[in-house]
Amino acid sequence: MAFELSPDRGADTGATRAAPARRPPPLPVKIVIAGGFGVGKTTSVGSISEIVPLTTEAEMTSFGAEVDDASHVPDKRTTTVAMDFGCITIDESLKLYLFGTPGQDRFGFMWDDLAHGALGALVIVDCRRMDDCYPAVDYFERLRLPFVVAVNRFDGVVPLDLDTIRWALAIEESTPVLTFDARDKLSVRDALLVVLDRALERARSSMQAKVPS
Amino acid sequence: MTGDPSSSERAPTAGALIRPFLSAGATDLGADTAGVEASTGLRPFLLTAGRVAADVSIAIETQVISTELGRASIPSLAFERRDIVAICDGPLALAEIAAQLGLHLGVIRVLVGDLSAEGHIAVYLPNTDVSQDVDTLLRVIRGLRAIS
Repeated sequence: MAFELSPDRGADTGATRAAPARRPPPLPVKIVIAGGFGVGKTTSVGSISEIVPLTTEAEMTSFGAEVDDASHVPDKRTTTVAMDFGCITIDESLKLYLFGTPGQDRFGFMWDDLAHGALGALVIVDCRRMDDCYPAVDYFERLRLPFVVAVNRFDGVVPLDLDTIRWALAIEESTPVLTFDARDKLSVRDALLVVLDRALERARSSMQAKVPS
Repeated sequence: MTGDPSSSERAPTAGALIRPFLSAGATDLGADTAGVEASTGLRPFLLTAGRVAADVSIAIETQVISTELGRASIPSLAFERRDIVAICDGPLALAEIAAQLGLHLGVIRVLVGDLSAEGHIAVYLPNTDVSQDVDTLLRVIRGLRAIS
């Protein structure tokens, strides 16, 4: 599948624009969307992205079925085997990318690629499978990347209260824990805004640290 | 670009399962095609002439755009290289190129590095750490708030 390149794709895109005035490309910034398998990362990206999320998602194979525990998410038929992402054009010179981390631990090697230079991260939690998000929390804590824990309201219900979740995750007081609905664009937007608030806090404090000289 | 980042101690076999062409020693890659398990399609390292190292400063969100030279050279470029130059008529992120062409990100990174060195495409690397830039963050926040 990967190597069937449409022969006229090049002609298509190459010929349409003769010689337009070329603007420099937008400055790309990114936020990482992390969490366990089937927790709603792809849904979140898709809810707010202005493009259909680009993905290398493939059907979950028998190879993956042994590893991925989908029994709690019976309708989940595919899983992200590489990563999926979407984007939001902030203005003509700034573009926000949302990168979903690979759904399985065995793809952990890609995380450095995803997290390097990120503004922050949204760690999505499913209360039924809290421990799935531990690797993400560990990773971002170690990296000192600003992150927010967002509990996906599956079917509108959060079975645990946020204090319990905070206790279970043993995260710092300053790390926000919130609930959101991955299917709802504005809900995802608000969760991302909390991530950006954290990022802004960090940027301001590190700026102040530099100023006194 | 080795199969062993510090973050994946929980998946000791990840490299072997997922990126055989990256975790294998680079020296094996050129000649050893017979002893490898059958796989579907061309293996990624063939597209990069056996190279697995790439310019890691090219991030997944790095914007890539074809140059005049690149667009003029499209007829003389072949296969993936031609496709990359062709689809980068407008700026695309490295990850977008990989997704659109259905190729491994690592392959695209190598090829983009080559094409950039040859002048067929331009790679825009931000020269500051935007993740710590207050003005940039405020712009992103304003932009997101405008979404309804």
